[in-house]
Amino acid sequence: MAQKRRKAVSAVQIPMSSMIDVVFLLLIYFIVTQKDELSEAHLAVNLPSPSPAQEQPQEKPNLLEIEVHPGQVYLKKIPQTLPQLKETLSRFAAYDSEQTVIVKTSVMAETHELVSVLDLCKGLGLTRLNVLTLQ
Amino acid sequence: MRRRFDETLETPIASLIDVVFLLIIFFVVTAVVEKDVVDESIRLAQAKHVAAIDQKDPRTVTINVTEKGDVNIALQPLNLTQLQQILTATRKQSGDSVPIVIRGDGRTVYGHIDGVMQAVGRTGLYRVRLAAEATGRGDQ
Repeated sequence: MAQKRRKAVSAVQIPMSSMIDVVFLLLIYFIVTQKDELSEAHLAVNLPSPSPAQEQPQEKPNLLEIEVHPGQVYLKKIPQTLPQLKETLSRFAAYDSEQTVIVKTSVMAETHELVSVLDLCKGLGLTRLNVLTLQ
Repeated sequence: MRRRFDETLETPIASLIDVVFLLIIFFVVTAVVEKDVVDESIRLAQAKHVAAIDQKDPRTVTINVTEKGDVNIALQPLNLTQLQQILTATRKQSGDSVPIVIRGDGRTVYGHIDGVMQAVGRTGLYRVRLAAEATGRGDQ
């Protein structure tokens, strides 16, 4: 009986060194997999159709036109800062989130300016985003 | 004295095996990452409002556009004609619903991105996405 008890006590001792190795293993595994998932968001955009024949008739009332110029954003030709744009767009989005947004971007504008506008629209639930290029 | 010497010679096999597993897993993981080569030089624009993607269509073609406007797929530099050829071949192989992700550097001018978009548009592929770094919670 006494012998049996002793055995039980020795079995409880966990081999710490290999456990630490396993822990490191898990740690490194998570670090590596985490890095790959560097959260990337994808903003879907509609491209203008390449052939003019397929162009759809324009539906005027439901178009929201945003122009992105280097350092400046215009909504329906009125210059806006991003917070102003957000506020105005949120009103439009609350009214109808299905409406088409056309983002006209100047070729000289930096990509992050376009992305921030697209991001804003997506965040407000406007998903019909079209990107056109201003020459 | 001699016995002690013998004891020190015993190599800890258990931890050695762990280290070996560690190496194996390291190589397995890096091999998987390599399949989806990411151009580390690109600093994506930040998007605060949209959620990060959790699943990616395995057919996705990722086109990288660097700050200077150089285009590459999986770090292989391409000009727009070559890009169009590759995309046309992709379309023939997997249909026109293949998602195209454009990873453009946030500081590059839109003109470079536009060139790529037009090349994509000419091939008839229509699922185009712009990649951004998701920095917010993604509440919609």
